[in-house]
Amino acid sequence: MGSGNDILDAYIYETNSLLEQLETILLESEKTNDFSQENINEIFRTMHTIKGSSAMMEFDTLATVAHRIEDMFFLIRENSLDVVPQSERSTLFDLLFQSIDYFRGEVEKIQANEPLDKDIDSFLENINRLIGKIKGEQEENTSSAPAAGASPAAPPAEAPAAEASALSASEGDKDFPYSLQVFFDEGCGMENLRSFMLVAAIRDFCSEADFAFLPADVETNPETAEAVVEHGFLLKFKTAAQRDQAIPSVASAGSVQSYQAHDYTPPAPKTAEKEGPAPATHAESAAPAAQPAASAGGGQHPAKESLISVNLSKLDQLAAVVGEIVITESMVTASPDLKGLHLDSFTKSARQLRKLTDELQDVSMSLRMVPVSASFQKMNRIVRDMCKKLNKRARLTLIGENTEVDKTIVDSIGDPLMHIIRNSMDHGIEETEAARIAAGKDPEGEIILSARDTGSEVIIEIQDDGQGVNYDAVLKKAIKNGIASPDVEYSHKEILNFLMMPGFSTNTEVTQFSGRGVGMDVVKQNIEGVGGTVSISSVPGQGMTTTLKIPLTMSIMDGMEVAVGDSIFTIPINNIRQSYKVSSDSIIHDSTNGEMFKCLDNFYPIIRARDLYQLEKGFTDIGDGILMWLESGECSYCLFVDELIGEQQVVVKQLPGYLNNYNIKNYGINGCTLLGDGSISIILDVANLYAAAHGV
Amino acid sequence: MNEENLMFATEDILTASAEQAEEPLDVKKYLIFLTDGLKMGVDAEQVVEINNDAVITYLPMLPHYIKGIVNLRGAMVPILDIRLRLGKPSQEDDFLIIVLNLDGTQIGILVDSVDQMVDIPRNSILPMPAHANQQLVSGMCSMPETGGTVLILDCAQLLAHE
Repeated sequence: MGSGNDILDAYIYETNSLLEQLETILLESEKTNDFSQENINEIFRTMHTIKGSSAMMEFDTLATVAHRIEDMFFLIRENSLDVVPQSERSTLFDLLFQSIDYFRGEVEKIQANEPLDKDIDSFLENINRLIGKIKGEQEENTSSAPAAGASPAAPPAEAPAAEASALSASEGDKDFPYSLQVFFDEGCGMENLRSFMLVAAIRDFCSEADFAFLPADVETNPETAEAVVEHGFLLKFKTAAQRDQAIPSVASAGSVQSYQAHDYTPPAPKTAEKEGPAPATHAESAAPAAQPAASAGGGQHPAKESLISVNLSKLDQLAAVVGEIVITESMVTASPDLKGLHLDSFTKSARQLRKLTDELQDVSMSLRMVPVSASFQKMNRIVRDMCKKLNKRARLTLIGENTEVDKTIVDSIGDPLMHIIRNSMDHGIEETEAARIAAGKDPEGEIILSARDTGSEVIIEIQDDGQGVNYDAVLKKAIKNGIASPDVEYSHKEILNFLMMPGFSTNTEVTQFSGRGVGMDVVKQNIEGVGGTVSISSVPGQGMTTTLKIPLTMSIMDGMEVAVGDSIFTIPINNIRQSYKVSSDSIIHDSTNGEMFKCLDNFYPIIRARDLYQLEKGFTDIGDGILMWLESGECSYCLFVDELIGEQQVVVKQLPGYLNNYNIKNYGINGCTLLGDGSISIILDVANLYAAAHGV
Repeated sequence: MNEENLMFATEDILTASAEQAEEPLDVKKYLIFLTDGLKMGVDAEQVVEINNDAVITYLPMLPHYIKGIVNLRGAMVPILDIRLRLGKPSQEDDFLIIVLNLDGTQIGILVDSVDQMVDIPRNSILPMPAHANQQLVSGMCSMPETGGTVLILDCAQLLAHE
């Protein structure tokens, strides 16, 4: 990011996130074909912000468009959505989606330093036409104008009532007049348990008869968490002194965002009750009165802004430094100078340091983690647009969108997901609803997009309930495109793999969305770029599932160090099933001079690391070394190495870019890492190593 | 002869004479190293450091002239053996690594020894004869004082791969 262009960067970032929010609101609203008052306000605000910031940046065309949409929503806000006739609702939604696309396109141009689109007249005309219609409608409604005029006043009138009820909860207890209302950090989770911890802390110095709390069943009822989030957790004491005593322990408890002391004063509820009927009789004067009350209420939920945005390069830097610390730490504690010394307190401190560096590592890693939801939400729009274009009906179900993965991974799964979902919509879901009904399915197709976290990797599945892959058609096409040979019999799995080869497309016609023949191989490339794998499975007539497996993070991992000759290799712990010390008698030879090893009633091929990498030194007799049973996805085999050195947490370093010219990644050499003594160990990629050994 | 001397003057004479001269000579500093009896020069601005105690870790599946990688304060730097790259027998013992930074790419070259730093005027570097099938050399220049000829290392070719 150019530091000279901070304002522009901020503008682009802000506008993009606003557009994303806007899109989510629109998709949500379109389902019900209605806008809630809150959403209308939100859209209005968003457009206002875009207008303001665009004008500031002198992007006049953007500002003009935003201004017109703001105008339109001003009308809608003042008069509720009823001013938009039912027949025009879909036009309104389409127009808004178009405008989002327009803004996105322009922002992209700004980013790429291209000139902006000057011709916005036709677009503005569309907006103006709709505004005209809304206004026309409004004039017809003038007779009912007083009623409409009253409606905007209604929502604020409800506000003080709600406020009053919340307050009365905190006040109306004569026995425990001194109360403390505690609010927890937004989104910290398990509010009920956190509340109970407070109760437990207070019991230490305050007998149970002297205080009470609300909701009373926080310990046993997890549903109280919501109530705590909404109204806070209420602690009530008999005396002010007890309360004062409790305050420090509340303040020091984890995740407490704010707390407020309330004193029970008998006349208070009366005023609250009085205020209740007031808005009904005199709406005009109640509205301003409600305003301060609402803002006072807002004070209990102090600004949500506990988030900051950080430049990704700073996080990269942090991760790099933490990685160095981890290495240095093991260099210090495993220093050869310490050999043979009996250092009790040193060992103790070293263990403590180890714990802290582990923690530091976790924290620095978690900073880079973001939920996949942003990427997932974008798919809603793709499904919506494709439904309209292809005249199909389908819904998108999202599962596990809160799963967190490394930021770089989130960025790189966007395009692959889009391609896969387009493919599912285009080829998977049946052409007509009649075909679906005939197959005994719900006329509305379903695409399930799910993410889950297995601890070491994230698994993203895209599942549709369409017709599945037509193996014959795929094979025919593969033969026609010269990917497959007509003389060979292929298994279903191999046929599915053709889908991911470059230049393959099953659709005979090129459609606007997919079928340009770049889809799935781009998916494969992108996912492999972040160290992941793609696999497809399909059940004819029931749909197909695409599974993406992506490592959670790529920078630090647990590895097993093994030696072969003079070289040291690191094998990811996750890939290791077992290791064996066997004699050469238990090795089985096959017809092509390959070697196999039998374990747990299965035969596994043996790959000798020394032969594969043509190393000068290393054991040749199986009995001297160690067999490592490795597994990654589909492949499972035994790797013959000289000896095991030990397990170690390693920081993955990419190989110098210069060496990538030689395709060593295809030989299973994935990167390297520094060991405690400063020497370099080569990190192996178990799947690629297998492919290399069997390709040669 | 006088002018000739000036062109190949050592640094201090050059600064003195540059003050007198109307237009400063267009010179560049070169680091001269030896490999298998050849004198070669590399642009001194591209030299990061000279190292003689790094442990080279062998990486399999690479062309034979890439000896492996070294750990240069946390950065992984590939090492090329200039002798092997030029198709000459490698020298097993006694070597030096010159670490170069070529447009952001760090790469180390294995040489026999380092000779000296010299200022070479740009216009005295002559192109290679058209049909000379030399590898890794972008130009040559004869040294009046020592009488030898220095071959200028072609760094772009160093990075290129077959």
